[in-house]
Amino acid sequence: MDYGHPLRFGTLVAAASGTPEHAVKLARLSEELGFGLIAFQDQPYRPDLLDTWTLLAWVAARTRTIHLSAGALNVPMRPPAVLARAAASLDLLSGGRLGLALGAGDDRDEMAASGAVPISPGALGEAIDVVRGIWSSDRTPLRVAGEHYRLDGAERGPAPAHNIPIWVGGHDPGTLRLIGRQADGWMASIDPMEPGDVRAAQALIDEAAAEAGRDPREIRRFAVIPEFDGPGGRWVEALLPLVLDEGVSTILLRTDDPGALRRFADEVAPAVCGAVAAGRSSQGTAVRTVPSAFVRARRHPGIDYDAIPASLADLAVEPGDAGYAAVRSTYMRGGSPGLVLRPRTAREVADAVAFARRQPVKLSIRSGGHGISGRSTNRGGIIIDLGQLDQIEVVDKETRRVRIGPGARWGQVAAALAPYGWALSSGDYGGVGVGGLATSGGIGWLARRHGLTIDHLRAVELVLADGTLTRADETHNPGLFWAVRGAGANFGIVTAFEFEADEVGDVGFGRLFFDASDTAAFLRGWGAAVEAAPRDLTSFLIMGPPRPGQPVVAQVMVVVDSDDPDTIIDRIQPLADVAPLLDHVIQRVPYAQIMEVPPGGHNGQGEPVSRSGLVGHLTPEFAAAAADLIMGGDTYFFQIRSVGGAVSDVPPEATAYAHRSANFQVTALGASRSRLDRAWDAMSHHMSGLYINFETDLRPERLDDAYPPGTLARLRALKRRYDPDNVFRDNFNITG
Amino acid sequence: MPDYGHDLIFGSFITPAAAAPQQVVGLARATEAAGLDLATFQDHPYQAAFLDTWTLLSYVASQTERIHVSANVLNLPLRPPAVLARAAASLDLLSGGRFELGLGAGGFWDAIGAMGGRRLTPGQGVRALSEAIDVIRGIWDVDNPARFQVDGTYYQVNGAKRGPAPAHGIGIWLGAYKPKMLRLTGAKADGWLPSLPYMPGGLREITESNAIIDAAAEEAGRDPAAVRRLLNIGGRFGPGSERFLSGPPEQWVEQLAVLTLEYGFSGYILMGDDPAALQIFGQEVAPALRELVAAERRSPVGSEAGR
Ligand SMILES: Cc1cc2nc3c(=O)[nH]c(=O)nc-3n(C[C@H](O)[C@H](O)[C@H](O)COP(=O)(O)OP(=O)(O)OC[C@H]3O[C@@H](n4cnc5c(N)ncnc54)[C@H](O)[C@@H]3O)c2cc1C
Repeated sequence: MDYGHPLRFGTLVAAASGTPEHAVKLARLSEELGFGLIAFQDQPYRPDLLDTWTLLAWVAARTRTIHLSAGALNVPMRPPAVLARAAASLDLLSGGRLGLALGAGDDRDEMAASGAVPISPGALGEAIDVVRGIWSSDRTPLRVAGEHYRLDGAERGPAPAHNIPIWVGGHDPGTLRLIGRQADGWMASIDPMEPGDVRAAQALIDEAAAEAGRDPREIRRFAVIPEFDGPGGRWVEALLPLVLDEGVSTILLRTDDPGALRRFADEVAPAVCGAVAAGRSSQGTAVRTVPSAFVRARRHPGIDYDAIPASLADLAVEPGDAGYAAVRSTYMRGGSPGLVLRPRTAREVADAVAFARRQPVKLSIRSGGHGISGRSTNRGGIIIDLGQLDQIEVVDKETRRVRIGPGARWGQVAAALAPYGWALSSGDYGGVGVGGLATSGGIGWLARRHGLTIDHLRAVELVLADGTLTRADETHNPGLFWAVRGAGANFGIVTAFEFEADEVGDVGFGRLFFDASDTAAFLRGWGAAVEAAPRDLTSFLIMGPPRPGQPVVAQVMVVVDSDDPDTIIDRIQPLADVAPLLDHVIQRVPYAQIMEVPPGGHNGQGEPVSRSGLVGHLTPEFAAAAADLIMGGDTYFFQIRSVGGAVSDVPPEATAYAHRSANFQVTALGASRSRLDRAWDAMSHHMSGLYINFETDLRPERLDDAYPPGTLARLRALKRRYDPDNVFRDNFNITG
Repeated sequence: MPDYGHDLIFGSFITPAAAAPQQVVGLARATEAAGLDLATFQDHPYQAAFLDTWTLLSYVASQTERIHVSANVLNLPLRPPAVLARAAASLDLLSGGRFELGLGAGGFWDAIGAMGGRRLTPGQGVRALSEAIDVIRGIWDVDNPARFQVDGTYYQVNGAKRGPAPAHGIGIWLGAYKPKMLRLTGAKADGWLPSLPYMPGGLREITESNAIIDAAAEEAGRDPAAVRRLLNIGGRFGPGSERFLSGPPEQWVEQLAVLTLEYGFSGYILMGDDPAALQIFGQEVAPALRELVAAERRSPVGSEAGR
């Protein structure tokens, strides 16, 4: 009897309250010695022990890799719904290192003396339902109508960082059957020197598991072995049959003695590992973990989950996983992908690409998840999520060279560069990711002064469709480097960007609210004022249909790249004179402060409908058409961003982003695809090209709007060379 | 009238957002870096958007060195008091005496009920809290040789072992607004911890509440000064204005001096989750207020601040 689980070792400590530091020391020592798990005994009625939950959280903050658990938590004294949230919290804080061991408690008298009511195995099963119910991402409130535990409409969440395994301790048949039905592990005290009836217990668990439609291999088996003494060799001999013949795969050493830990780690663990590996290979036992029936039932056809490369398996998220709700959607879109891969290195990105290419499903690439044209989620397909690649480092202070991972957000970039007095103009929202923006343009708060984000790009490292890791800059793969700056999503996955940052200190930041009832005149006036302004001014404008009974309001945001209050006012004044001002705030703030965003995950729903256009000047004809669009009600969000200035200094052929002469980028978001398209198509003759990042129309003509003929021809040639099989096609796919 | 003469302490009131655990921890670290004394977290165990406060308190205490930590305030109905007392003592031991116990009777009874907790009326909730304080103090009272017995309506202890003892005298601070809770605060607590935004009666309500606490303390044979008064405050640093705590640090100092010298507060906990504001609060407001209050307390004429 061997379920083929990877072999693990851990320690089980009784944490004396008299010497609180000792338990912490044992935890850190266990980590250092390579134990995979530290567990603390839980008897919340004993004054000589530290409270286990408190200690687990304390230790989580002082360790990095070791997994944490109790051995096992006393459920009658810890209300399960609160315990579930506490467990999710600790899992989030510790980066997914918690295992939740539960038990009914052993000393009924002591429990009763502290006011607790003892529970049966059945009630423990109810507690497990409560805990899993709280963790679930189901949208309905949680109801559990148990005999012992009743919840009526509790909120669910937070979701833990990983599928926290629930392990149950106990030897009685009722508990063993419960484990077979519901638990992810059995935790038992087993003295290998005195073989008992472990096999019979395993058989009982397996039988109950099979009855519940589960694979017995879903359930990991722990042996808590007693105080370890005597020669190491004897222990190796005694432990071996536990693993190879009796199904145990996690061995917890019960000790409070650092010397014993060291000796076990030196003399016993490596020898057992070696002997188990040899034994398994001669018995032909494959080593693997079997996901739960729940997870397996939610898998999508078309994805070979068992073939996920080992390097990616631990962070991969699939629909049945706890972390799924947090990764399924993006800022703008709802999604239900079949698999989210989260590589940590360029090499792992290559593994992910190689794997994804073999699966006959959609592939999406995600960095910050703010894609609009970029479909960085999907239904039933694979997502390569680069969120883990979020490092920001200064490469060279002299040349202000910084290296940034695609998963970083622009708010984080701004905060990281601020101490140096630097900034990179990116966009107007700090939550946007580096990867999507820096592969396509980057129209930011300092655009007129400092150009597009891609204009600061000096080199990229990417993983190509065939898995090659490569670097591109002006001299090395210059064609690829050219293409990445405006059409990067088609050519590979950028795993690192090198930028030259600008010196930027405090800036003027104004928010002005206008009565724009004469909408066309307002747009003309704002456009003219922006074009006339020196380059240190960049301004964005937002409008929507007026609310009933209220004037048409335009919100104008202005950034002046100057820390001089007089300059700030001088620059903003001409804009303020364009129309009647309803309200305004002008501040001098650190650039990083405008880019600050509240934390939070993505919970987008549906599918965004947007159009984009680039225009030279806000001519009377354009302004009249735009005013009609805004008043017509087909757009709920209409925005114009100023470009021009430094953006226009770059020759059109220098980057794949070619529409350099435009002074304005116009975006409209609508509720209806057909209505917005009809309205927009009717005014498109005022525009010369579009900016891909705000366009969701999938008609093939859009490619010609995005890239002028010469640019498009070159992109097509490069696409044939670098991605002949069209692996990367989730965003403005270069075809033809 | 009241200035109970306590040293001033300053802290932060942090939202335990589950969406960004490390940012929450970062705010606690920013609290320490700003020179503040205390990081506190609200506790609503029925809210899925929040991290579990107890877990967070321990994690944060482990990642800081100097600041004290407390819930603001802990939800008693979902946290059985005997286990809570031992957990509190454990955290105090691990942190070297940096834990304080902000505690509340619980208010959102439907949400508590939905979590499997017991639904009580507000009056029952206060009585349950009173019993719980007896349980908690009894657990901590390791030198008491008597059999530990609490025969309450809501909580019972029947011969449980006492201990462990905390590393320092953990303050039990109650979030209290209504007379019954205020009386309990005077009778049994070490601190009063209301939020200014929840006191619609403003300064008058503060004066009346202090009086109720003082009377209850005296009735219980305690010195009213045994109850520290702490206050959760919100505000804005910026140009001077007519509004309370909306202005430059000097304006804050003047206004908080009045609260200290005339309304008895000696702890201020800043809401808002803004690290920049915490920095100003710790670096500019706290030292200046300490200095001003010390000077006023020394001066024979008594309180002249805020004129
Ligand atoms: C609220 C909001 C505000 C915005 N403001 C601005 C603004 O002011 N200026 C501006 O220029 N844009 C702005 N944008 C548009 C934004 O730049 C794009 O949507 C961008 O693609 C988002 O990048 P991301 O990494 O967050 O997106 P993701 O959704 O992660 O990715 C979008 C697409 O980019 C591609 N991609 C992502 N990462 C990589 C990579 N590492 N290598 C290759 N391709 C990759 C993929 O095709 C993917 O589908 C805004 C978007 C939003 C939602």
